Amino acid sequence: MPGSIEVRGLSRTFHTTVRRPGLAGTLRSLVNPERVAKHAVSDITFDVAPGELLALLGPNGAGKSTTIKMLTGILTPTSGEARVAGVVPYQDRERNARNIGAVFGQRTQLWWDLPVRESFSILRDIYEVPKAEHAARLAEFDDILELSTFWDTRVRHLSLGQRVRCDLAAALLHDPPVVFLDEPTIGMDVVVKEQVREFLRHQVEERGRTVLLTTHDMTEVERLAERVVLINHGRLVLDGSLDEIRRRFGSTWQVRATLADAHTDVVPLPGIAVLRKEGPQVVFGPESPDGPDSPTVHQALKAVIERYEVTGVAIDEADLEDVMRAAYVHAEPATEAV
Amino acid sequence: MNGMRIAWRVTRLNFRAQLEYRTEFLLMIAIGAIWQVSVIVFATVLLTRFTGMGGWDSSEVLLIPATRMLAHGLFVLLLGRVHGAGRQIQEGRIDIYLTRPMPVYRQLQLAFFPTNAIGDLTVAVGLMVGALSRSQLDWTPGRISYLIAAVIGGMFLEAALFTAITCAALRFPAADYWSRWLEELLGTFGSYPLNVLPKAVGGLLTYGLPLAFVAYFPAAILTGHGHDTGVPYWLAAISPLLGVVAYLGSRVLWRWSLRHYAGVNG
Repeated sequence: MPGSIEVRGLSRTFHTTVRRPGLAGTLRSLVNPERVAKHAVSDITFDVAPGELLALLGPNGAGKSTTIKMLTGILTPTSGEARVAGVVPYQDRERNARNIGAVFGQRTQLWWDLPVRESFSILRDIYEVPKAEHAARLAEFDDILELSTFWDTRVRHLSLGQRVRCDLAAALLHDPPVVFLDEPTIGMDVVVKEQVREFLRHQVEERGRTVLLTTHDMTEVERLAERVVLINHGRLVLDGSLDEIRRRFGSTWQVRATLADAHTDVVPLPGIAVLRKEGPQVVFGPESPDGPDSPTVHQALKAVIERYEVTGVAIDEADLEDVMRAAYVHAEPATEAV
Repeated sequence: MNGMRIAWRVTRLNFRAQLEYRTEFLLMIAIGAIWQVSVIVFATVLLTRFTGMGGWDSSEVLLIPATRMLAHGLFVLLLGRVHGAGRQIQEGRIDIYLTRPMPVYRQLQLAFFPTNAIGDLTVAVGLMVGALSRSQLDWTPGRISYLIAAVIGGMFLEAALFTAITCAALRFPAADYWSRWLEELLGTFGSYPLNVLPKAVGGLLTYGLPLAFVAYFPAAILTGHGHDTGVPYWLAAISPLLGVVAYLGSRVLWRWSLRHYAGVNG
């Protein structure tokens, strides 16, 4: 299907040798090396629909980059299957390359010694993009990313923010339906980050591109992604919306209500427990934080306001970073769809 | 066709980019020439102190370093980015190349312009002119054609050896050191008639590391020493062809290695 990503039971195992301790162990390892298998990605299954932006999240070493490398045709999986815009990336690398754009935040795809605009025009030739189309797209990217102020500069002289903006443009100049972004805003200042986010929103909403994004920046996830896939220890832990993740791992919300009548008889509401009551101040929290039907903080707030007459209300909610921290720490390495 | 056009365009742009850093550009050319100082010293000593070596007269011996240097200069210019490609691999540039609809090997070669090749080729052409002007041989069209084939074959053979090492570097970062060792070895033994070396060393440089096929055997055929090389005459004679075959073989190995590429830095 054009623009879709289909991943079925994808696994990648790396084999390495382990050095035994001590001098004797080292010598023994030299003669008789002990090989161990490291399962970087194990049996991962998910889909990304055309025009959807999916955040692939997980702690360092979880298997995010390995997954992206298999989907971009860099690595061949040990088992399983993947299709990107209908193409098996590791079997038909060059055809897949025409359908995708990729940005690896810490590496540039531009020619180091050349001015950026020269790199763009080389890419135009490689992807055989008509000149008028190339110029129009470049103008569109320039509007958001403000590239023209530095696109005659050699890549080696660009700042990180300028370089990544150019890399983003370079990855999309051939109009790929699918885009892979591996930590694209790493090390950027907040202004440039926002510029990049706006650009990505535009590409998804206006141009209908499918985007698979990995990042450790939770603000980015909140602003861009409706759906996330969480992997840890190479396994898919969760595939769902941000609300579902919050419900499952963000159990720390509290609603503090000041009742108009301090003598009101306060009773628990469905899924909402009364944690404390001090005079007119009542603190509500989730009754069963891990339960599948546990209300979100917004649902709880609505329920409290509807049930009681309140003169003031405040909410304490774990931000997404806290939620993800909890998810990374507690997530068991077992496949589960929420 | 589009591939050739892109290659030419990138090369032109890379060359222009190098030209803009004038001092760096001139330094690189100088380094290319100075790097060959051992060959220049060898040629000078050979011509001024000795009448010959291993049954070859000096003008015949001079044809060996001249052929090797010219092959080497062309290798550095056209295919030399496989030498030291370990750095591109470790920097993850191969990952980027794999996401473009263009052969990875070609992209590796187009990474930068090898300015030092100008220095290499300047020394090589000077040496070849010197060797030809001192040569007593009758330079018939057949001999000239064979010399050209030998230079091209030598270039491909050197490229094959470095490509094979780069294949290993895709998996083992330390393989890059072998690249340096190989260059050192080619520079050290590539200028001599190998019959002056102990038989075991000559055998190693023929069958182990096929250095003899780069310049020694072709020069032996050209100068009439083809029957005294220690290998069958026909084997020495097909050296240029073997260079091309070895290169094609190394490209097959490259494709296989790339399919088994396991990436770097996670």
